Amino acid sequence: MGGYEILEHTADLGIRAWGDTLEEAFEQAAWGLLDTIGVRRAGPGEQRTIPAAGSDHASLLVDFLNELIFLQETEAVGFADVRVRRLTSSELEAGAEVMPLDDPADGVQVKAATYHLMEVRTDPPEARVYLDV
Amino acid sequence: MEVERIDDFTWRIPQGAVAGMRVPGIVFASESLMDTAREDRALEQVANVATLPGIVKASYAMPDIHWGYGFPIGGVAATDANEGVVSPGGVGFDIACGVRLLRSDLDWESEVRPVIDRLVRALGARTPRGVGGKGLMNLSRQDVTKVLGEGVRFPLSRGVGAEEDAELCEDRGALQGARPEFVSEKAQERGCPQLGSLGAGNHFLEVQVVERIVDERAAGTMGLFENQVCVMIHSGSRGLGHQVCTDHLKMMDELMRKLGIEVPDRQLACVPLGQEAAVRYLGAMCAAANFARANRHVLADGARRVFEEVLGRSSRDLGLALVYDVAHNLAKFEEHEVDGRLRWLCVHRKGATRAFGPGHTELPPYYREMGQPVIIPGSMGTASYVLVGLGGAEERSFASTCHGAGRQMSRTRAKKEMSGAQLAQGLERDGIKLAPTRLASLAEEGPYAYKDVSEVVRVCEGAGLSRVVARLRPVGVVKG
Repeated sequence: MGGYEILEHTADLGIRAWGDTLEEAFEQAAWGLLDTIGVRRAGPGEQRTIPAAGSDHASLLVDFLNELIFLQETEAVGFADVRVRRLTSSELEAGAEVMPLDDPADGVQVKAATYHLMEVRTDPPEARVYLDV
Repeated sequence: MEVERIDDFTWRIPQGAVAGMRVPGIVFASESLMDTAREDRALEQVANVATLPGIVKASYAMPDIHWGYGFPIGGVAATDANEGVVSPGGVGFDIACGVRLLRSDLDWESEVRPVIDRLVRALGARTPRGVGGKGLMNLSRQDVTKVLGEGVRFPLSRGVGAEEDAELCEDRGALQGARPEFVSEKAQERGCPQLGSLGAGNHFLEVQVVERIVDERAAGTMGLFENQVCVMIHSGSRGLGHQVCTDHLKMMDELMRKLGIEVPDRQLACVPLGQEAAVRYLGAMCAAANFARANRHVLADGARRVFEEVLGRSSRDLGLALVYDVAHNLAKFEEHEVDGRLRWLCVHRKGATRAFGPGHTELPPYYREMGQPVIIPGSMGTASYVLVGLGGAEERSFASTCHGAGRQMSRTRAKKEMSGAQLAQGLERDGIKLAPTRLASLAEEGPYAYKDVSEVVRVCEGAGLSRVVARLRPVGVVKG
């Protein structure tokens, strides 16, 4: 079973996410981000593909989250489903169901996912990332 | 973290506190502010920054220091232009986030108090803010490129604002080193709808009253007097700046490792200033800074329009003029004397304000004799300050001072302290009008979540970084 928790930080906030697989841990980290912005919504929505690249799992996760931030901010969408379809040590492809937001985002604005104290472990699958809010 | 006290307001983190430190850390703080700084990882971050290749003299921290992501917030690091590096984390995601102060000829009690309700309500309705807020100016892609190159000159060319607004803005409203071509398509796309919007978090627009003048002469030069109504705007480069940092950080993280540079935290990713990647980042950073200046310029113009409508007089008649606009997240090339020798340095200020003393050639002619105005926004509902730069600060902190109150409590903890509704009632009780806002996000910005701004400013004065000119109190709050 996957999940995430918010980590305390003086000005910003961190996410620790876990799952049965690394893919699931990354999906949970994505929900940690999207819940922070306040844009988890019910489906159905339009299916979108989100590519990400990095030099290792940690930078790949940061890039993935930053792609979600970009998509959310430029298209003002909510998210119903996030699936990591493919994950290698340098590439990721995820799918997400997105829809226009009827009611505004009810969380905080996230400027970016950062490299600060980021960490990804494979056994058991777990990820940590800090967001600049 | 081992910290040695040097004097009442200065502390040293000795070289060796963290492996690879090239210079010591210097923290400006009182005993109580140092106690707060010890509670999170801020001091460790000051030490980490001291490992950057080419860092000169010390890794500095201002009294409002707190835990950031990579650099501490309140951190200042100068690197040698020839042998040093540039680190996008030393500027942060909100490139050129800063503060703009407008003064007026209006007296609080007799002229504004009777209409403050209507004024704050109108400012709240007309100032785009919050998550994903669309700005006052909707830009085409070509327009965005112009803003990146021209800063406040772009809105001025569209009849928004007055010529003096450019004259009295830091860098006269446009950084010369801007290279719009190094700002990615994605960053420009994020910027298109956002010019003239506050954003969220601790950004705000406030109606303030000058409560006390401490330095009559400097206040006179800046046109400030007691009981005068002012407008303070705290905002940055919005999604455009965030994306510029994200893009270049990713590039530098990869390049840094190819170049064999090691840093204790990957968010400190950096490359030598001679590298093409550094040139590209700095050109894009300057362009994003131009966007931030133009953003505050457009927001200020929007506020002027609201004052005109509510008070029924033109903004020129109301004397709504710019005092100054200054960034607190930026890297700049500056000449400083180090060990008796003039050196060309890249000064990173992350949550710190440049504070040049009297006579500096980079200051607008109008302020050259006085020294640089420094605008310090307080936390919501508390005092803000206007300071002025001092000559001696160049030697002490590369002419840098604080940038605000500085957080001391996490958002989760702040929310447990008091609800948004309670906080709103408290402001009302103190006679501060609050424009309608989302109460949940309000709860994260309670004054108890921040250090005491008066203590921060007192330490800056004690340490010789800047001098207090005036204290302002809020009477109307429009929260981002």
